[in-house]
Amino acid sequence: MNPGTTTPTLATPSRRTAALWGLTVSVALAGGPLVLRGRLPDPIAVHWGLGLGPDRSMPLAASATTDVALWTAVWVTLLVMVPAVSGRRRARAGWWGALAGSSALFLGMGATTLLANLDAPSWTEARLPGWQAAAVLAAAVAAALLAARLRRGATDGSGGEAPVPPELRLRPGQRAVWVGRAGNRWLSGMTVAAGAGLCLLLLMWGLGLVRDETAADASPGLAIVLVAGLFTSSLTARVTEDGLAIGFGPFGWPVRRIPLERVQHAWTETRSPVEVGGWGFRGLPGDATIMLRGGECLVIGYRSGGRLAISVDDAERAASLINALLATRVSA
Amino acid sequence: MLLTLDLNDARPLHEQVAAAVRRAIGEGSYAAGDRLPPARELAQALGINTNTVLRALRDLRDEGLLEFRRGRGVSVAGAAGGRALLVQRTRELLEDAQRHGYRREDLITILKELP
Repeated sequence: MNPGTTTPTLATPSRRTAALWGLTVSVALAGGPLVLRGRLPDPIAVHWGLGLGPDRSMPLAASATTDVALWTAVWVTLLVMVPAVSGRRRARAGWWGALAGSSALFLGMGATTLLANLDAPSWTEARLPGWQAAAVLAAAVAAALLAARLRRGATDGSGGEAPVPPELRLRPGQRAVWVGRAGNRWLSGMTVAAGAGLCLLLLMWGLGLVRDETAADASPGLAIVLVAGLFTSSLTARVTEDGLAIGFGPFGWPVRRIPLERVQHAWTETRSPVEVGGWGFRGLPGDATIMLRGGECLVIGYRSGGRLAISVDDAERAASLINALLATRVSA
Repeated sequence: MLLTLDLNDARPLHEQVAAAVRRAIGEGSYAAGDRLPPARELAQALGINTNTVLRALRDLRDEGLLEFRRGRGVSVAGAAGGRALLVQRTRELLEDAQRHGYRREDLITILKELP
């Protein structure tokens, strides 16, 4: 890149911007109910059934505190991610999108909730028009897309070409394999917690300490977290002469196998959850990422044109081995 | 972890696997404290018995290269990096020497003669 024409790096997420922005949103979320408290019922309606009127209420102070606490959790997460996403364009776009989208969502939900409760004699009288909920969702998506587009900044340097992994030479009479793993301690912890919670809940339900409705309400959520966590908290990958096999979860099952014949070449990339849209299996077939943790990813380019990225440790050696196996197969 | 086995190697298989793991750690693909892939995965990839891999890993633990911890699996021992590299290079040097007809003692002499 010509040093004389460097583009201003305005779009780099800075901690100060994020901190100020988050503080502003927090103040708005707390300030709205505070200013309007004279015209609001207490408790206020906070949840509406589908066109059936309000079905849940909360004291005004608790509702405002919950909103601010949830927003703070999102905001602090984004703040922590700043250094991880500054370097790459897609990551920056994802970060700005997440910040703008979640702000719009929180502010929109807060505003429509207050509007619905405004001047209602009691929370049961609060009416939330369906179009407002839809409008908030649409506005959040639009804000996210717009921010991602406007603030993604300049394209990455060095032409955006994927780094070529070091060449590996295989000698005849040698068997080379590669095995790697990736894990996410947070996801593992969440899985364990969900499993323990589910066991405790069922035990207490069996002993008659928990009512049937409570057990029925809480167990599906816990079960979903447990099952999802079992398959996405860790993975193992191996490269052999047959190709690449990815085993999910602590038991390495299910296994996804990609035969070597389908692979064009392999390389590594740095990707983070914020740019691929979260953890787990992300993206569409053809450009998907199996994301367990941010950082080094092994990327497989298919002969058919698509590609698949897998977050896994020691990915560079895996890419080298795949390319070496492909080379020997072609020359053989 | 990239493991290479020589199909013409006459040594017992578990020794070959231990050497391959040692080489992988020596080359720096795993730093101190990093978790190794499960033995079952290594065995499946190499197409050998899990017990053979476990035996190799146990040998490496006895060497002080690996640590076995309950619930955390097998990881590279704290001060392993530099030593593993040296041990691996020395092994290769020894094999090289033997190929050229030098014995272990000759190699020690050479080492002592070096400034």
